[in-house]
Amino acid sequence: MVDFDVLKVAMKSGKVAEVNRIVGELLAQGVLAKDILERGLLDAMNEVGKRFKANEVFVPEVLVAARAMKAGTAILKPHLVEAGVKAVGKAIIGTVKGDLHDIGKNLVIMMLEGAGFEVIDAGVDVAPEKFLELAKSHNAHIVGLSALLTTTMPSMKSAVDVMREGGTTAKIIIGGAPVTQSYCDSIGADGYSPDAAAAAELALSLLPH
Amino acid sequence: MTGREVLLHALQNDLTPRPAWVPFVGVHGAHLIGEKASNYLKSMELMLKGLTLAAERYRADGIPVMFDLQLEAEVLGCELVWSEENPPSVVSHPLGGGGSLGQLPAFDLGAGRLPLAFDLTRKLKSEIGDKVALYGLICGPFTLAMHLMGQDLFMGMFDHPDYVKAVVSYCSSIGCQMSKAYIEAGVDVVAVVDPMTSQISAEHFSEFVAPYLNLIFATIRDQGTLSSLFVCGDATRNMGEMAKTTCDNMSIDENISLGTLRDISRTTGKSFGGNLKLTSALLFGEPDDARLDAIRCIDVAGGAGFILAPGCDLPFATPPENLEAAAEMVHDPYKREICKRTIIVKDMQDFACDIPDDYRTQPNVIVDVITLDSASCPPCGYMVGAVNKAASALSKPVQVKEHRISSREGLAAMKRLGVQNIPTICIDGEVAFASIIPDQKHLIARIEEFIAKKGQT
Repeated sequence: MVDFDVLKVAMKSGKVAEVNRIVGELLAQGVLAKDILERGLLDAMNEVGKRFKANEVFVPEVLVAARAMKAGTAILKPHLVEAGVKAVGKAIIGTVKGDLHDIGKNLVIMMLEGAGFEVIDAGVDVAPEKFLELAKSHNAHIVGLSALLTTTMPSMKSAVDVMREGGTTAKIIIGGAPVTQSYCDSIGADGYSPDAAAAAELALSLLPH
Repeated sequence: MTGREVLLHALQNDLTPRPAWVPFVGVHGAHLIGEKASNYLKSMELMLKGLTLAAERYRADGIPVMFDLQLEAEVLGCELVWSEENPPSVVSHPLGGGGSLGQLPAFDLGAGRLPLAFDLTRKLKSEIGDKVALYGLICGPFTLAMHLMGQDLFMGMFDHPDYVKAVVSYCSSIGCQMSKAYIEAGVDVVAVVDPMTSQISAEHFSEFVAPYLNLIFATIRDQGTLSSLFVCGDATRNMGEMAKTTCDNMSIDENISLGTLRDISRTTGKSFGGNLKLTSALLFGEPDDARLDAIRCIDVAGGAGFILAPGCDLPFATPPENLEAAAEMVHDPYKREICKRTIIVKDMQDFACDIPDDYRTQPNVIVDVITLDSASCPPCGYMVGAVNKAASALSKPVQVKEHRISSREGLAAMKRLGVQNIPTICIDGEVAFASIIPDQKHLIARIEEFIAKKGQT
């Protein structure tokens, strides 16, 4: 029985060098890359997400933990590819047209990656047509729209409309400071999340079974 | 007492005759005069027009001179992207990925749009400054550091804490220069606005922010001026640390409990404010939503040292009538009392009340008088008295009923009758006289019309 606690503690406190070292050691011991990823790194990120949601840790703590997770995942990647391990789903995330604030979007990307998604970062100020194009070309399961400003919220509706008309099968989720569940309902999005950690849970729940 | 005086007293934690009121008019000023934010924030003439109008229309005790937290960053080489309905956004971070402070352009109070801010202050001071207090808003040191470093600031607190402290310290020296320049130009208060601190823990706040904020507050105090700390965003966890800083006043966003802030402020001798709901009440709500939210804030705050203000910069298209409604609650305690009772009427449809389903089936004409309470509200008492007097002068029997909105029955009656003002006289279910107490001749004539309609003549 491999103990993943040391790895998880190192990842949660954002210690990149330590995470790299422990991941290397575990691989050398013959532990499966899939196990190191799921029971070590993703599990730790999941805990960080829960603590973020509970207001126990904040944006900087999430950022350093996510960075450590990324470093560890990079070491595991060739092993995962070799073993044929796939992401749980594919997601496109971006801020809507007119909105340039990307901290929330970046957090959601990290949380989704932490939940096992392959995430395509669409960037900021993304036009509705661009979301549609990305969703189709990547065959995405989830499209996440972010807005920080009340004034850019209408762009969310345009993005939802364009994607619906364009016939993408991706589920559309929305979030950001001014956004609410009732706004989500009014524009016909598939889900709303009040924070980045909940966004990962929401995305998982919307995946086809 | 002028509005400015009320505000200055409130800021110093004194008891004031009414709550002080500061609508944080930034780009909303552009909306008021039909301009784009991108033109407005670059023009003294437009800002002067927008702010003067806002101060007058919203009966403000104080207004912010320029609510644009990108002013300093622009001078330090951050690239801005302009928007028609928002303040500009910083899109490049000169210290992103490291770099020395020496590579930044030298900070110059004569550069960028800074002269505009100080000239505007002088102009506002001479035009409305005797009645309206001016807030000089400066970008807080942590938020300015974020402009310079981008997201690297967050990770830098773990990776290179000394470097981050050097950057935040430099930003606080800019805050000190800005404060002095604003004070020299005539502001009454300097507000240090540091929204990015809502994203960090209390430990990080006390290590990376508080000492540098205090340098700015000390500078402001040395100039004999009052200081305020604004944090937009949910900074609940940091309120204790914020209260330990040496500012005179704290202003908070809507997602923070005003009651908690009140208690913390009282124990540290600071005044406090903010908390009006920007989106649900002011932007997307109706005047009644704004009134109710203003009443909520005023009631929770209770007493000395309170400044009613929105949680943060007002959104561009905030309906002016919502802000006028909030202002009304500040200036008119009588209306406030009425609104407290009447607005809740919206949810009172289901309560029973003494209003017939159909007045036509009633034997006599019924005069309903909706009052706050005729015993405690003089105009209500006069109105009830007038109706009783008229009723006794009529040849036919008329039933007079008073519905006090201090009770649920009264509220439900008010709702059923569609009454908007207090006091109001309704005759057979129709609003006949709202707010104004009619003279006997008119009142009797009006009731007689209904008696005739009923065929009682």
